[in-house]
Parts: sequence; C-alpha cells; structure tokens
Amino acid sequence: MAILYEMAWRFLHALFYVQRALVAWFRVHIWRWKRAVVGLLLPLALGLHKPKKTGTISKRTSRRVRCGADGRTLEKLPLHLGLLITEEEIHFTDVANLVVWCMAVGISYVSVYDNQGVFRRNNSRLMEEILKQQQELLGMDSSKYSVEFMKNGTDKQEHQVLSCQSVVKVLSPDDGRLSIVQAAQQLCRDVEQKEKTLKDINVTVLDSLLRESKNIPDPDLVLKFGPVESTLGFLPWHIRLTEIISMPSHVDVSYDDLFGALKRYATCEQRLGK
Amino acid sequence: MRTISESTVMSWIRERELSFLERLTANILKAGPMPKHVAFIMDGNRRFAQKAHVQRQEGHSQGFEKLAETLRWCLNLGIHEVTVYAFSIENFKRSKEEVDGLMELARQKFSRLLTEQENLEKHGVCIRVLGDLTLLPADLQQLIAKSVVATKAHNKCFLNVCFAYTSRYEIASAVKEMAWGVEQGLIKSSDVSEVLLSECLYSSNSPNPDLLIRTSGEVRLSDFLLWQTSYSCLVFQSVLWPEYSFWNLCEAVLQYQLSYQSLQKARDLHREGQALQQMEEDRSCVAELLQHRGNGKLVDSQSRQKELLNYIASREERVRCFLNALQHKRDTFFSDLSSQAVVA
Repeated sequence: MAILYEMAWRFLHALFYVQRALVAWFRVHIWRWKRAVVGLLLPLALGLHKPKKTGTISKRTSRRVRCGADGRTLEKLPLHLGLLITEEEIHFTDVANLVVWCMAVGISYVSVYDNQGVFRRNNSRLMEEILKQQQELLGMDSSKYSVEFMKNGTDKQEHQVLSCQSVVKVLSPDDGRLSIVQAAQQLCRDVEQKEKTLKDINVTVLDSLLRESKNIPDPDLVLKFGPVESTLGFLPWHIRLTEIISMPSHVDVSYDDLFGALKRYATCEQRLGK
Repeated sequence: MRTISESTVMSWIRERELSFLERLTANILKAGPMPKHVAFIMDGNRRFAQKAHVQRQEGHSQGFEKLAETLRWCLNLGIHEVTVYAFSIENFKRSKEEVDGLMELARQKFSRLLTEQENLEKHGVCIRVLGDLTLLPADLQQLIAKSVVATKAHNKCFLNVCFAYTSRYEIASAVKEMAWGVEQGLIKSSDVSEVLLSECLYSSNSPNPDLLIRTSGEVRLSDFLLWQTSYSCLVFQSVLWPEYSFWNLCEAVLQYQLSYQSLQKARDLHREGQALQQMEEDRSCVAELLQHRGNGKLVDSQSRQKELLNYIASREERVRCFLNALQHKRDTFFSDLSSQAVVA
C-alpha cells in the first residue's frame, strides 16, 4: 500500500515539474516572438507615416519617456523595491535591465539580493552591466538618472536625493540576521559597560541602531524571481510590511512583466492592523 | 454586545475523521517530505463577515471554529506543531468594540479550554501563548497563564498562539533577555550570536516553521515570525480564513514539497555560514585573551588550539546556565500569574 502511495506521489510531482517547465518554455518563447514582431513592425509603421528618425537614439528616448509616463500613471510607487533572485544561475544583463527600468519608472531605491552572496561577490560586474544597460535602454541622457552605488559596509551616506537620482544597493544574508546580531551585541556591550540599562532596550532603539550603520529603508515591495517560495534570509527586520510578489523567472524578463507587478502593488491596500 | 450561547462554544480541536478521498490524498502527500511545523496568518474574518452579511464578531467566531477544524486536519497529516497569529499589537488600533469583542472571544475560548483537561491530556496538546501578555486585561492574562501551565507537560502536539504579538517586539525582547543575562553576569556580550538570539525568542521551544500560510490574498508578513521564517516556505492563498478547506491545506503542503530541495539547500548553506561565523568570533576572542595574558610572548599553535577548545567549552557552559535561568524566569512568570487571586 505504501508503495502505491509513493508512486502516486511521484506521479503527482512529475506532473508539476512538467507543467512548470512547459509554462517557463512558453513564457520565454512567446515573449521572444512578441519582441521579434514588434522589432519588424515598428520601423514599418514609422516608415509608412511621416518620415521620422528611426535610429536607436529616438527609440531609446521614446522608451525612457514611456517608462517615466508609466510611473506617473500608477497610484503609488514603492520607495524601495527589492529584487530577490532565488534562481541558482544568475543572468546579470537581465538583472541590470530590471534595475534600469525601475529607475526609469521613478523608483528611487533599488536593492538586489541573492542568498548565496553572488551579487555581493560580483558587485563591480553588476554595476558595469547596469551602466551599460542604462546607455542601451535609456540613451545618452543618463546623467539625469545618475546612479549612486552604495558600497557595502561603511556607507554613512544620509543624503540621497536629487530628484532623479536613484540608489542601487547590493544586499546579502549578512545584511539580515547578522546585522541584527551585531546591533544586539552593541546593546549588550553598552549594558556590560553600564552605559545603558535594560529599560533602554526596545523596538525603537534597536531599529535606530540598525539604521545607523546601514541606512536601508524598509522595502515597500519585493519582487521574488524563481520557483523557490521563500525570502531566503532577505532583511528579516525590514520586511515586516513588505508586499512580496512572485515572478516566475528573471531570465528574459520583460518590462511588461515588471510593470504588471508594479500595477498590482499600486492597487494593494495596507490596513496596518486596523 | 452580542453574547454567544454555551452550545455554540466550540472545543479547540474538532473530533471529525477525514472522508475517504481526503484520507487518500493525505496518504499520497505523506509519501513525500511533510512540514513538521506550520504557521498560519488567519486573515479574512472581517471580509468573510461582510460577504456573509453577519456581524464582525461572528466572523471572528467562525474564524476560531475554522482553527479547530484546521488543527484536526494538521494532526491527520502528521503536522504536530502549529503556530497561529491570533492578535497583533497593531490590532489594538481597531475600534474599542471590536477589540473588546476579540478579548471576550479569547476569554470564552481559554475558559472552555480549562474545562477540557481530560481531552487535552488524551491528545497530549501543549498550548503556548507568545506575545506581550502584560498588554492584555488582567483576567485574560490569568486564564492564559492557567492554560499554559495546565498543558505544559503535554508533548504530542503543540499549538502556539501569538496574542498581543509582533515579530519586532519579540526580537527586541530577545535582545533585552540577552542584555539581562549580561547584566546578571551569566553571559558576556561576546557570547551574543544568531543561535543565542533564536534561543531567547518567545518561540525558543519550537523549531522554525517549515511552512507559513497566509489567507485572504494579502502577500505580506505583517510583522509575524520575521526571524523564524527566513528559510520557510511561504504560501499566500486567496481564500478567506473562515472558508479554508482541507484542499487548501493540501495545496499549501504540495507547494512546500515543491520547494523542499531548494529550501534544504539554502538552510544548510546558512547553517554553515553560522558555524563559520561562530568559529571566527571564538578565535578572535581567544586571540584577544592570549594577547592580554601573553604580554607579547608568541603562543605556539598547539596551546592556541587548546585555549580555543577551553574557551568554547566555557562559553557553551555559560550559555547553558543562562538559558536555564531564562527558562526558569519564564516558567515563574506563568506559574505566578496563574496562581494569583483574580484581579477585577
């Protein structure tokens, strides 16, 4: 009897794996097909109307203008958007695209995270890709969207915001539980040295201590890419009210995928306990 | 305020067997890895009440009935530990009528629980309540304390009710406990670690949840078990809590099984990192110690290794004593509260 149940279980799971693979395959191929069609039709359409400059520069400008306009149509935009990649194989170009689109739409703080520390170890590679994609997707006017890359560890930068300036931060599990432990150690040392008493330890004090060393704002929205249904250690303290939206994969992700998630975020209602 | 008659006050775990189809599904699921501890954010009572055109209080009441049913399903699926988010510190912001109604519901349920000692013993149910109980009315605090003390020794299944709880408060409270340990001279500040913090949380007697389920379609954690669910499977379901079904639960368990391998891998990676971190910390403490003692003399690697092992043993002993003292402090809090004369 137990063997029958096990066989049924294996069959059920095999079905799910096949379904997941098929969906992933369709998603990638349909998007590629869409992109090819648009690539063919757009110059044609423009050609049939008034003669316009169809060079890459105006395409980028129109894309940038579109992103900005899209951002303004949304009821609300996240101040801090976290990109959580759960997939093992990371495609830096796709991640860079996501970051650039987020900036263009008007999100001022974008963080990138994976639980194995790949982004942290390849910080410069990611930053190079982002700068490259910025040129590619948004055109030469990238000074308007200058990106501030937060160096990890001792960033005591408080200022952030000239109106179109975005901050990109790479995060790893060390920014999560380990940071809380370090803050806890600090408070215990203070008590040990009689500089603080137990009464001085509460949520507010712990919160400000955490923000002293790494001033990471609470993410409003986390986009989780990949089939693993977990936050995998992403900023446990900060995500208390964060909306977590799952996306199937970051590989070949499109602007429409991102915008769809942002639209979903814009319509959510936070009651804050009330 | 509407009162609920005795006949509709339900017991905490439904006595109902699964149908044939449900049993079949349960057996198939059990052929794969099953979560041992499941956490629920039971969201959607008020929306259900609106939908069913009943009072909010009735929605909450139905929500409790659904909890009793879900606990039975969990036991049938071999899930022996369940944690539920019953009342958040943020919920005190609701109207006085609603808050009072919820407190009254809790009073009824805990009072009823105290009359079912035999049943609870038969099933070996251990009830724990996690949160800042001092925020609750005194009589409810006492009922809760009595329930916790009465079921403390049971060990077949565990129900953790988060009441007057938020995760940030819990973490800050754990830090405070460690600071208390330092103040009492039981531990040093250098003993503070991720593992120790976990042991100081309200949930220290439970393993981390394998699966967290939130109903009603919201996709956030709302300050619930933020530390403990870092590597848990999160399942967000759109069904409203009072309408939760056995099939919804199976769907969530299936999701857990699909993410199982990746989560195990991530957890193992994290554990390795934790161990390395601890080793680093120990080594650095020993280096400092030797420096103070040695007066500049170089220590050979064999003595260094010996010192390291000694240090680790003494740290572990300190931590063990501290955790015993902490457990004693918590047990005393509940036993004192439960044996007090009732405060009006």
